[in-house]
Amino acid sequence: MKRYLLQRLLLLLPTLLGALTLVFFLIHLIPGDPVEVMLGETASAADKEELRQSLGLNQPLVAQYRSFLTGLMSGDLGRSLSEQTGVADLIRARMPATLELTICAMLVAILLSFTLAMLAARNKGSWIDRLALLFSLLGLSLPNFWLGPLLMIIFSIQLGWLPVSGRGGLDHLFLPSLTLGLAMAAILTRILRISLLRVIREDYVQTARAKGLSEKQVWLKHALRNALLSVITILSLQFGSLLAGAVITETIFSWPGIGRLTVQAIQMRDYPLVQGCVLVIATSYLLVNFLTDIFYHLVDPRITYGK
Amino acid sequence: MFGGRDSFFLYWLIGLALLAACRASSSSDHPPDYLVIGIESNPLQLDPRYATDANSVRIGGLIYNSLLRADETSRLRPELAENWQTIDDRTYLIDLRRDVKFHNGKPLTAEDIKYTYDSILDPKNQSPKRGLLRPLQAVDALGPFRVRFKLSSPHAPFPEQFTLGIIPASSESQRVSVNLPPPGSGPFILDSIDRGEKITLKANPSYWEGRPRLAGLVVKVVPDAMVRVLEFQKRTIDFLQNDIEPDMLPWINKNTDAAIEANQGTTFQYIGINLTHPILKQRKVRQAIAIAIDREAIIRHLLKDLATPASGLLSPLNWAYEGGVDRWPYDPEKAKRLLDEAGFPDPDGDGPLPRFKLSFKTTNIDLRKRIAEAIKEQLQRVGIDLEVRSYEWGTFFSDIKKGNFHLYSLAWVGILDPDVYYQIFHSASVPPDGDNRGRYRNGEVDRLLEEGRTTTDMTSRKLIYSRVQRILADDLPYISLWWWKNVVVKTPSLQGFVAYPDGDLISLKKIYFQSQMPAP
Repeated sequence: MKRYLLQRLLLLLPTLLGALTLVFFLIHLIPGDPVEVMLGETASAADKEELRQSLGLNQPLVAQYRSFLTGLMSGDLGRSLSEQTGVADLIRARMPATLELTICAMLVAILLSFTLAMLAARNKGSWIDRLALLFSLLGLSLPNFWLGPLLMIIFSIQLGWLPVSGRGGLDHLFLPSLTLGLAMAAILTRILRISLLRVIREDYVQTARAKGLSEKQVWLKHALRNALLSVITILSLQFGSLLAGAVITETIFSWPGIGRLTVQAIQMRDYPLVQGCVLVIATSYLLVNFLTDIFYHLVDPRITYGK
Repeated sequence: MFGGRDSFFLYWLIGLALLAACRASSSSDHPPDYLVIGIESNPLQLDPRYATDANSVRIGGLIYNSLLRADETSRLRPELAENWQTIDDRTYLIDLRRDVKFHNGKPLTAEDIKYTYDSILDPKNQSPKRGLLRPLQAVDALGPFRVRFKLSSPHAPFPEQFTLGIIPASSESQRVSVNLPPPGSGPFILDSIDRGEKITLKANPSYWEGRPRLAGLVVKVVPDAMVRVLEFQKRTIDFLQNDIEPDMLPWINKNTDAAIEANQGTTFQYIGINLTHPILKQRKVRQAIAIAIDREAIIRHLLKDLATPASGLLSPLNWAYEGGVDRWPYDPEKAKRLLDEAGFPDPDGDGPLPRFKLSFKTTNIDLRKRIAEAIKEQLQRVGIDLEVRSYEWGTFFSDIKKGNFHLYSLAWVGILDPDVYYQIFHSASVPPDGDNRGRYRNGEVDRLLEEGRTTTDMTSRKLIYSRVQRILADDLPYISLWWWKNVVVKTPSLQGFVAYPDGDLISLKKIYFQSQMPAP
């Protein structure tokens, strides 16, 4: 197990390098010039060339890539071209907001889906089950850019309970987390409901019942635990889409996170900042997948890796 | 859930309790008597040596003073300058006010002026404004409150550069500093920057014109247009300028008690033309396109009257504006005749076949795409098939600079001096050396623009630029669409705001909420 995890951990590095390499060359391939953005319309061709030289942008792409990697090895993510601040500082300032939002959205998704899936599986075919399926369908069909403003109009404007947008206390977090977490909740509800219905028919569940365990123990200790494996897989895979969804949610809710920073960086052709943001997003995604492997083992000790 | 639904209800009771707690904790995040302004994008750099995006320039304009500042009629007026004289066509002498202090308490002197300009000129500081100061040979402090600007050659539009924000001598370059931008001497002091979220400014108690009536400003970044309006409706934003979708104005009017003002602005929307294209280089084709577009209809239906039809780059507010130019009113029948004369007859009359096909590039902003579709529809009526292509800004702009387009639409913002024509239409200004993206070449225009640059007498300059405007309106290297109006949506209790054509927010130094006592 330890050896496998170590292998997985080591595999993170080439995967990360692959993602960064791909983004590095892609961002340089798309049209647009950061020097134009920095110096504006009035700069002379000579001024632009001078700045291009001082930033090393006139070097061959491979040389630029090499210098990017060298910086990365020494922990230097470079300076943002558009904001003239260290990329690491910008990311450090924005990261807590994204983490806060993503984690809360996950909690919302887990809380909602576990409740609904358990209720639906327990009452299969009833109105509760149909309601859970309807929620699942709606959650998947409503895009964030529509759901977000709708929730704002209801909770902020009509009821006046919550702020419209921006980052602040718990009140500011509620609507963006709900918006971001709802689609994930819908998927999880479906998967968990099906898994529970499958598991509940297994022999060991019948045995547990025959042993005289209470229904609560049967569902929580035997059914839910075994149904969790598929949910964990979906959770880790969905983490990526949660990060992608955060870009839209952060824009709608004026949330100062990494998603908005990435979009701004791409628009400004701020190469170092794009690279920094991709590094953070890719690392988060890979780490979550790595943790999922460990979690598999914790949930089902029969799962072992390697020899 | 298991023999009862206690756990289920417990979850949701906790949820509701949290929601109630949210409601209780939801309160204003700024002190009273602060004005909250909503803006679309994050100001990137407030340091006046580096500020180029509109929001940085506008917010920076509240923190930094400049030697001169354009007033509400776009005329340059003294700000830090007590008076200014043109000694000869290469020398300006400026006497400074003696009662100005920076926010750090240091009095403003001629050394600060010299430092600011020298700092921009220093190549190692990589200021985007260095190019603007190219004609500047030297800045000399002739005493503590007198400064002389010496140019290397006569350059009539140079006084526009006296609008650069002034910083104290020895301020660090932002290229090497991660600290806050340097202090200014303006009516508001930078209090804090929450990147991507908000910028807080507080009133400068020792401002030389008197303390602003507001306690401070919160500039809130709200990227989504609809959310900005919802924030306004909830009164968590008090003031919006221009960052409003035209479609939303009727809704704001109906659903909020906003005070809405729409004033003549200087932002000029146009269609750029590739003059190297074999069809578009024919003047009659360009004239046909100009009169096939029904600007009035687009303004009425899509822009909700938030623009006025334009006759050229300079708005009527500009001192050099020439009103007597060809205007090309909507006339589709004449457009058809012009196309026939140009050698592009309609192959099948009113049938589906076009006379010719062109592409029209625009950005992927929703309103821009809808405008492009309207233009496509109007040109189709005269037999021109327009293919609308919308792109993300960086890609779009890169194509335009390379001349990789037939037609495109863009806007010019914040035009003060007519010398901008040199940058846009002089044959030496083809990218990367300027913004003559359509590759326009006209010997007479070149000569006039060179003359306009070196003529310091205002009356003579006005005559020169009148001629330039007449030639361009006839030649049509650009098709003028409209001048956007400056739209302000504000809470009705806010008094004393004066809209500036370029969107300058400087009058915020004098505004107040009606509940406050106005200063005598």
